[in-house]
Amino acid sequence: MRDFSYLRASSADEARQAALQAGSALLAGGTTLLDLAKCGVMEPETVVDITHLSGLGGIEVDANGARIGALAKMGEVADNVGIRAAFPAVSESLSLAASAQLRNMATIGGNLLQRTRCSYFREPAVFPACHKRNPGSGCSAMGGITRNHAVLGTSDTCIASYPGDLAVALVAFDAVVELGGRTVSVDDFFLLPGNTPERETVLERGEMITAITVPSSAAATNSTYLKVRDRQSYEFAAASAAVGLEFEADGRTVRDIRVALGGVATKPWRVRGVEQALIGKMLSLETVETASRLAMEGAVSHGANRYKIELAPRVVARAILKVGGLA
Amino acid sequence: MTRTIHLSLDINGGRYDLDVEPRVTLLDALREHLALTGTKKGCDQGQCGACTCHVDGKRVLSCLTLAAQVEGRQVTTIEGIAAENGELHPVQAAFVEHDAFQCGYCTPGQIMSAVACIREGHAGSDEEIREYMSGNLCRCGAYNNIVAAVREAAEMA
Amino acid sequence: MTIMEPRKHGDASDGMVGGRQTRFEGNLKVTGGATYALEYPIEGVAHAVLLQSTIPAGRVTSVDTSKAKAAPGVLLILTPDDDLGLMTASDWYGNRPENQPYHPLPREVSFNGQSIVAVIAESREQALEAAKLICVTYAQTPAVASIDDPKAGEGKVMGNLTIGWGDAEAALAAAPIRIEGEYSTPREYHVAMEPHGLTVKWDGDQLTVWEPSQWSHGMARSYSEWFGIPYENVRLISPFIGGGFGSKGAALAYSAVAAFAAKKLGRPVKLAVTRPQNFTSYGGRAATRQKIKLGATEDGVLQAIVHRGASETSTYMDYPEQTGAATPILYKVENFSSQHRVVPVNTVTPGALRGPGKNPSAFGIESAMEELAYKLGMDPLELRLKNYADHDYQSGKPWSTRRLREALTEGAAAFGWSKRSHEPRSMRDGNQLVGWGIGCGTFPVIQAPSEAMIRILGNGRVEVVSGAIDMGQGTYTILAQTVAEVFGIPVDQVEVHLGDSRLPGSAIAGGSMLAGSILGAVHKAATAARDELIGLALSDEKSPLRDTGANTLTFSGGRIAVPRDQGPSLSLPELMAALGRDEIETRRNTLPDGATPQEHHQAWTTMAKVQGPTMGEFSMHSWCAHFAEVRVDEDFGTVRVSRIVSAFDCGRLYNPRLVESQWRGGIIMGIGQALLEEGLVDQRNGRTVNNNMGDYLVPTNADVSDIQVISVGIPDYGASALGGKGVGEVGIVGVAPAIANAVFHATGKRVRDLPITLEKLI
Repeated sequence: MRDFSYLRASSADEARQAALQAGSALLAGGTTLLDLAKCGVMEPETVVDITHLSGLGGIEVDANGARIGALAKMGEVADNVGIRAAFPAVSESLSLAASAQLRNMATIGGNLLQRTRCSYFREPAVFPACHKRNPGSGCSAMGGITRNHAVLGTSDTCIASYPGDLAVALVAFDAVVELGGRTVSVDDFFLLPGNTPERETVLERGEMITAITVPSSAAATNSTYLKVRDRQSYEFAAASAAVGLEFEADGRTVRDIRVALGGVATKPWRVRGVEQALIGKMLSLETVETASRLAMEGAVSHGANRYKIELAPRVVARAILKVGGLA
Repeated sequence: MTRTIHLSLDINGGRYDLDVEPRVTLLDALREHLALTGTKKGCDQGQCGACTCHVDGKRVLSCLTLAAQVEGRQVTTIEGIAAENGELHPVQAAFVEHDAFQCGYCTPGQIMSAVACIREGHAGSDEEIREYMSGNLCRCGAYNNIVAAVREAAEMA
Repeated sequence: MTIMEPRKHGDASDGMVGGRQTRFEGNLKVTGGATYALEYPIEGVAHAVLLQSTIPAGRVTSVDTSKAKAAPGVLLILTPDDDLGLMTASDWYGNRPENQPYHPLPREVSFNGQSIVAVIAESREQALEAAKLICVTYAQTPAVASIDDPKAGEGKVMGNLTIGWGDAEAALAAAPIRIEGEYSTPREYHVAMEPHGLTVKWDGDQLTVWEPSQWSHGMARSYSEWFGIPYENVRLISPFIGGGFGSKGAALAYSAVAAFAAKKLGRPVKLAVTRPQNFTSYGGRAATRQKIKLGATEDGVLQAIVHRGASETSTYMDYPEQTGAATPILYKVENFSSQHRVVPVNTVTPGALRGPGKNPSAFGIESAMEELAYKLGMDPLELRLKNYADHDYQSGKPWSTRRLREALTEGAAAFGWSKRSHEPRSMRDGNQLVGWGIGCGTFPVIQAPSEAMIRILGNGRVEVVSGAIDMGQGTYTILAQTVAEVFGIPVDQVEVHLGDSRLPGSAIAGGSMLAGSILGAVHKAATAARDELIGLALSDEKSPLRDTGANTLTFSGGRIAVPRDQGPSLSLPELMAALGRDEIETRRNTLPDGATPQEHHQAWTTMAKVQGPTMGEFSMHSWCAHFAEVRVDEDFGTVRVSRIVSAFDCGRLYNPRLVESQWRGGIIMGIGQALLEEGLVDQRNGRTVNNNMGDYLVPTNADVSDIQVISVGIPDYGASALGGKGVGEVGIVGVAPAIANAVFHATGKRVRDLPITLEKLI
């Protein structure tokens, strides 16, 4: 880890001021920053510790929705009774992520900003070519070991998948990121790699996530997060789905449905095509399976990650059937 | 030039003063600067759980925590959980009784994690214990016995 | 060092050999008081880090250290330009090339991830930062990334591993039922929780090394030979070791670098190998490939086995992972042929990892046997029992003991095998397909001479002293139990000193050979010490037992007395006091009488005197049968092992509590091997890209459900002095095929290449 200076911010404004300086990085849970600093991927000159700031934590849930402070810990949110009741998918996405220790450290704001687990991104000394780390240098992943790489939202420059779980649930339920002066939907917060994979979010220098709000909905209340992986725990998703569902009064016709995918795309991936195909339809095994295949529209594989194109729709289907009471 | 900062840390109820570079992790501060080597380094990357200790009563990974971050917080390590008269903490005793370790290297982290797991209320069933202890890898494969030890300690708690 | 008093549970017999005594050093391990190699407080220590190659093959043409040298805290940088003045040390068997210099930081790069530069600084942080400032220039040469690289070729046949009897090809051709399959296993890694590393300190020409070690004496020898100093000048200290699994039996290149740096700097040096560097600083299990053909009669009697295997090795050393190791001895077969090749690729030389040879070998033959069973429409249990080997068909010798039949039948009963439905895909629970499978395992009994010292102290405590290692198998505990039994005293009256090359020599903690070997020496030394004490007690004029007319004494319940007599009885401290003795010390070994000092040295520091399983009149092995139940999600292809029952024949168990733990540990590592573990090699540059514990997946607690272990063994006094056979290695052998067979039963899909990841089942 490169030598850095340490600044403990005493207010959010001080933190933002400090973050304006080139070479500075905000330290919240530290689980991404310190990990990547050890890998040599992030080399801050100044680390601005915001973990002691007050007023940026807290979880409020009411009839309109939830507001989660950026410094609330993953574990706190996962175990919050209000979140569990109104947003089961959000709670589940958190408790299925990382480990209990990491969930006690990592904050909600930091969780959104976690970086890809692409092996090539994480080992700069061996794989200098990485457009995300060093724009214009190339991509080492293409032609390499791609089992965990994205099949959706990729570009010629980058196929690194977004590794998080929480953001997948958030994007399904139209959550909004508060950045102090402005708000952005979670869907718009994350950027596709395109020709600028180094730019992963719309966050500007000096900006800081202060809170996340999630509007209430019947679909969010009847929701789940399904995560499929090789290891039973403590692993990133091979494919995951956040799904919420609201029926019409008949209890069979879909009034509202939300579907988002994790582990398969370069950003948290809302699949509106699947939603549109099911709204107004009676839920059945057949309608769900047919609609779920739309989740892979535009998918492109790069060798070993081809299985995700087969797997992800099955995960979507199972999650829909589960919230629909059919599985 | 590297910069050092002065830290005063509250560890196991005692005050420890040290001068370290800001980049020194809590794990390295414990092991290399304070001779508290019970906390283990298994991966130094947040992937194994061997370095688990408590900060303000919550289990965290000391390898991804800066020493500077925990100034003003209460740190508890494996050296700090037995009674003052040396009597083992119930989780420690249960680990011995159930042979919940072999080489012993992951053990302090397992125990610190188990103490928190019980306190959090995540030790209600074997299945829940397995899931909530999965952040602590054990390559000797003592998992069955770890679950038995945590279950027993939770029932006594 | 002195071990804290153990906690005592259950009854007094727990402290005897065969009792369920809790782990002797348990309190130290649960309090953080057990000190591992990098945890000794050493004044003035400097910190070394390694820089490893980023190419698979070539030559280091230059190393620009200018920026690094100027970095804060840097004390020394070692590169291939530095001649460290070291000489090559002996191999495992004590063979040493003459006058061959040793370059632990070589100019010629043989694999990606080879250590080529070391940076030593005041702090580890400074050393790591400086290492990043070093610029290495290479002249790259063509490389072979792995056994899958088309350039790898066929490799070379290992003549000593070519085995055959009968006429296998002809018998196969004549057999009415034939199956064939090709089985493969990937590179697998030890991933001991304690990473490698060491602390070294010179005092003049005396070298002290704190290093995790499975073999203190053998590793000390390497240091003495590298540096050309007498063996006695090296002291290697390793009382606790955070897991080894075969990886910590040898001093390695980085060890030499650290010792050299300490000498050059004139101050102690600590070198911690980072977790990613652990993947290439020593070899894991080699990737293997094997083709097996079985021929049988229509009623399932094996007629022939033809086996052709291969494993990766490095470009600079032939290390075979013997795919034919279990194949010849599991079943009765009159016609057999096996051959094994090694295929050189640009990797670090592979090494021994739990159940070396037998493990991938069993994956092949035990998968093939179930394929045969399904082809025959026969219960796989019945097929195995039908072809039960009444003796060792390879050596022609009788088994010493072989309770594999009991392992199969008692394991099957405990598992409920009789409720099985034969057809694949015929058992289901909701979305989950349920399957059952069997895998048998074996590991040879090997032994090495060992030595031990017993000291009876005036205060009545008895010390047992040995250079042997406890890496979690339970050496401390079973040595204490053995001595407690001989002296009739509680275990907490015993002290155990281990893990120091200055202490009496011992077999390596590897190959499951330590317990059987060292207990022979400990029992011999303890009995001799007791006999000496009896002699004194019956002859010394100060002894209250002198005039009893007895010709021996009993040691029981902490008292020493005349047999069947109401006369005086004394405790050990009382007798020592009466005799006016502060100490009685004996030292015994299991070498033949009259062995020379050279033979002693050779016995403790090399493998030259290791006895194989068929060197006597019997063929001696441990055996096991695993019964696995899996649940496979049909849509996702995810496999969960929901239940395992394993029955073992490991002879007499010295401490069933600790043995059961080791068996479970082997089984759990086998679950990882079956479902998760795989070194992923980038074919473009030979790099293992998942070189960390987040990407190289080992089982978590949540991956492990119920495991029942059963002992069906009986004491085997041919195999060892106290009747035990090896325990640690055999547990993993046969687990992966049991799971693969269960997956086939569940899904109808035969996966012949490990690990069984989800994409292979959807």
